[in-house]
Amino acid sequence: MNCFVKLQCLTKCYEDVTALDNVNLEVKRSEILTVIGPNGSGKTTLLRMMAFLDKPTQGEIYFDGARINDNNRNHMRTKCTMVFQKTALFDTTVYNNIAYGLRLRKRSKREIEKRIREILELVRLEGYQKRQTRKLSGGEQQRTSLARALTLNTELLLLDEPTANLDPKNASIIEEAITRANREYNTTIVTTTHNMLQAESITERVALLLRGKIAEIGPASEIFGTASKNLASFARLENVFPGIARIREDGTSLIEVSDAVHIEAALKKSGKVTVLVRPEDIIVSKKAVSSSARNIFEGRIVGISDLGSTVKLNVDVGKPFVVQITKRSFSEMRLNLNSRVFLTFKASSVYIV
Amino acid sequence: MQSVWEILEGIRRVIELFGNPVVLETTFRSIYVSGTATLLSALLGIPLGVLIGFRDFTGKHFVKGIFNALLGMPTVALGLILYIVFSHSGFLGFLDLLYTPMAVMFGQAILITPIMISLVVHAVESVDPDVRDLARTLGASETEASIAVLRESTAGVALASISCFNRAIAELGVAIAVGGNIRGLTRVLTTTIALEVMRGEIEYSIAMAALLLLIVFAVTLAINLIQRRRP
Amino acid sequence: MERKVWIWTTALALVVITSVAGTAYYISTSRREKLVISTTTSLYDTLLLDVIEDQFEAEYPIDVYFISVGTGLAITHAQRGDADMILVHDPSKERAFLEDGHGVCRKIIAYNFFAIVGPEADPAEINGLLPPQALLEIVEAGRLGQAKWVSRGDDSGTHTKEKGLWNDAGLNWTELREEEWYIEAGAGMGTTLQITEQFSAYTLADMGTYLKYYKDNIIALKELVTQGEELLNVYSGIAVNKSMHAETNLDGAISFIEFLVSERGQQIIEDYGKNTYGQSLFYPAVGLLEENAELVTVQWIKNYAFFNGYECPPQYQNGHPELYS
Repeated sequence: MNCFVKLQCLTKCYEDVTALDNVNLEVKRSEILTVIGPNGSGKTTLLRMMAFLDKPTQGEIYFDGARINDNNRNHMRTKCTMVFQKTALFDTTVYNNIAYGLRLRKRSKREIEKRIREILELVRLEGYQKRQTRKLSGGEQQRTSLARALTLNTELLLLDEPTANLDPKNASIIEEAITRANREYNTTIVTTTHNMLQAESITERVALLLRGKIAEIGPASEIFGTASKNLASFARLENVFPGIARIREDGTSLIEVSDAVHIEAALKKSGKVTVLVRPEDIIVSKKAVSSSARNIFEGRIVGISDLGSTVKLNVDVGKPFVVQITKRSFSEMRLNLNSRVFLTFKASSVYIV
Repeated sequence: MQSVWEILEGIRRVIELFGNPVVLETTFRSIYVSGTATLLSALLGIPLGVLIGFRDFTGKHFVKGIFNALLGMPTVALGLILYIVFSHSGFLGFLDLLYTPMAVMFGQAILITPIMISLVVHAVESVDPDVRDLARTLGASETEASIAVLRESTAGVALASISCFNRAIAELGVAIAVGGNIRGLTRVLTTTIALEVMRGEIEYSIAMAALLLLIVFAVTLAINLIQRRRP
Repeated sequence: MERKVWIWTTALALVVITSVAGTAYYISTSRREKLVISTTTSLYDTLLLDVIEDQFEAEYPIDVYFISVGTGLAITHAQRGDADMILVHDPSKERAFLEDGHGVCRKIIAYNFFAIVGPEADPAEINGLLPPQALLEIVEAGRLGQAKWVSRGDDSGTHTKEKGLWNDAGLNWTELREEEWYIEAGAGMGTTLQITEQFSAYTLADMGTYLKYYKDNIIALKELVTQGEELLNVYSGIAVNKSMHAETNLDGAISFIEFLVSERGQQIIEDYGKNTYGQSLFYPAVGLLEENAELVTVQWIKNYAFFNGYECPPQYQNGHPELYS
């Protein structure tokens, strides 16, 4: 049986809220599964069920063929571990945090020291043993809690939004550590995210969780490739355009989104694709900016929204783009409805989903 | 101007006081009596506080409210009540406790136990609620998880103990009412200060008061250093 | 982590050891015979009693514990059985104490005088007057806004004396206390003197406390009215009646009284303060009463502090006639 964790008709209610509604899910051994969904869709609850932290209101969970009940739940918890979305740390040294689980499993002191040294290397926190966790930066704290989970080498690893709120450097360290754990130890990994872009980089299968139900599940390319209404609606993605891609000699792709709009992406893809450009990656100017950016479009402002410290603009360049600028820039450039502006963005800012 | 001079004289006398055997004896007795009172209060208050902090039960708010109210117990009132109870014509008179250091000890323990309980409950409840689940997901049993939560609250519990000690060593009402300020037996720093002020020995009183403050500060500082934490 | 655990364990061990050791020590000392004496602040604050305690404990295997409170509370202690004897200076209350059956074996130990003290400027011009006239002057000056009076107001022996003086002057104390110039301190003698100094007022003070405060430059008030039978201050000791309060140490109390009235005890009382203040703070009463010397003072004592002609009426002598031979 290739199915490692099986959730059968799983329902979880808290007070008057149904967090999970009749969920059926099979997690394959050694796979990396990502559950995506908007906030409040039940992702955390799903993970907590798989971590055996909470009991289901209805339904069954099977772990490696064994049905989870009140007798074995505590024991089964030693076979899996969960990293929370909000970093939780014991108020002591990095060493003691990571050693906690190992000590519970009665490992020798020497073994603990060795494992901790190795795992700190993996998350690029070498030498951090004696540091007080409360004095670490956010990224360092998250890496510490990841190290704490990884070092236990459990069969199942659950990560709730592991790279949310992290800068790219920290995020990539974490992603690297996760993939290594899966590759070297065949750890089955289930992560959650509400950020589609992060999901695509490491995962094989993706499940879409909407309002406590699994709406779609399948290989990542399938789910993202169709850019279904479900996906787009939750992601609230801006600047998503389907188009036809062609690979060019220099290794980039040109995607024809419409007659007027051809977008260059720093990826190799061909055929029907959906591209996405994040508003914050787009530069707005009144005159054409000469830069290395390959995508320059001229258009008209057709909509203005005040978001407090920033201003959101809808710009029509042949296709409707959503961009964001600071209020100061907005007034300095003296922009209005119908103002002519230039939108510039790099090929590397184009995502293919 | 005279008061400034008095204070300076007092400080000089504090330094001199360290050699005075009566002062040393009184200081030791203060620390002994209030320290033991804190110990007694901790023996009862910490387990009780942990229990209340951990569990949710009907009437929890009410119970917490009562202890919080007792925080502000006026020592003179408590001292009076205890005097009546410990007196030979009171219902605990047969214990022969009045005018012994034990009476002061028990009295102070009664005074500070509500403080201990309130602060311990607060310390336990202030622990990150995720800590319990964190421990469990790292493989802890329910008991081990509780221990992990307790360990996170030790700083708060330590602070509670120190606050209780400081309250006990600095109080006057109970010590005088049930101790009687007997020379060589129940005379502590606070009662000495009271007596000497009444006798007009202002400089000596200021010196003793400075000594008392020194002890309170030193104890608080020591604990903060060990915990390396800001209160 | 390890080091912190060690520090905490050591600290805790220290605390526990100290507590246990201290408690053991106190329990062992409590095995000794103890004698609890409730006394008044005006007697205790002069530290005469500490001297007497040291001498007594040198000769007897008894631990003496003085509880220094106001006369009112001293008597209450004894009535509740919390003291073995009292040393006070309030004959009317002492009489009631005997008659209510709480006390036995009363002995007059010492005497001195009160004085009316006040500012050097003496706005009410009472210097050298006798108490009744002086008080009338003070009332008049007070009503004119020229003087103030501070009262102990705490039901102490001194306070009782003060009320008696107002009575002797034909004045009603309960009315006077409502007037603006009459300040009730509700405090001990020392604090009352300091308040009197602060307000440049007049007050009734016992000589012991007054001399000490004056010498230590805490007050600059002068003794203005020092003569007069009314100012007599008599200190007596009364043991608590064991039949009323079974747990009291009557034998110890008797021993202490015997010590106080012995030649040695009386000498200690007479000598106390001579070096520091140039005069005795307290005068020994026993020899005086026995030999009937200096007739006038003895007469005054008998008028003021004897009950039906007795220092201690026979029914309260409780089988210790040798004290009164």
